[in-house]
Amino acid sequence: MSYDVQIDRLGRVAVFDLKGTADAVGAWVKDILPAFPVRPNTRTEKNGVALCYIGRNHWLLRAARDAEERLEQRLKPTNCPADISIVRVSDTLTFFHVTGPDAADVMAIACPLDLHETVFPPDAVTYSEFFGLKALVTRCEGGFECAVEQSFGDMVADYLARATA
Amino acid sequence: MMLIPCPFCGKRNESEFIFGGPVGADRPDPNAASDAEWVEYLTVVPNPLGPVQERWWHARGCGEWVTIWRDTRTHDIVRAPDGPK
Ligand SMILES: [Zn+2]
Repeated sequence: MSYDVQIDRLGRVAVFDLKGTADAVGAWVKDILPAFPVRPNTRTEKNGVALCYIGRNHWLLRAARDAEERLEQRLKPTNCPADISIVRVSDTLTFFHVTGPDAADVMAIACPLDLHETVFPPDAVTYSEFFGLKALVTRCEGGFECAVEQSFGDMVADYLARATA
Repeated sequence: MMLIPCPFCGKRNESEFIFGGPVGADRPDPNAASDAEWVEYLTVVPNPLGPVQERWWHARGCGEWVTIWRDTRTHDIVRAPDGPK
């Protein structure tokens, strides 16, 4: 059986891992961040920068690659206060887009989440599984975005090709 | 399949979790416990036919540690039984 989907492997995406309370992280870098998401496993966005609330006192900042150096300079990971942690993790993740009419069917093969819009709304983002691997899952235009540890990138590309062949 | 309630994420598939083992008895006072009680504390793992308290780690999720009661007869996640743990 084949699916009407498009699989795209993204190039590098800028991602920063932020740990600490919203107050503490906000005190360090409030002006460049979108408003802190309040509901667990959701994201907010401002000027192409998305702030994802992916664990207790744990956030991911996601932006296009060309914003990476500007964000790094502004976040100053090596100078941040001791009660927070900021780490550039862009090169640890490989992103895939699964889009098209059958995107949800392909996601159902790979991921145990209920991805219906009533349960997984447009602003949802969460760590879950993708072909058994820890993965960051969210929605994108026309489908879903998944990020896995970069060393599994080729393997996941192969899994997706087989699942949709 | 079990759906395990994570305090951060809500109910999630058991495959996202790593089993952290049953919750053992509280550590007795080594100066007050008999040898038999101490050996029991160190070596006997709870293994009841019925509700058992367990820890699970939401490893492929938010990273939270979760403590639940699971009925070993039905696999259902149940409320904590009444009375002392
Ligand atoms: Zn969780």
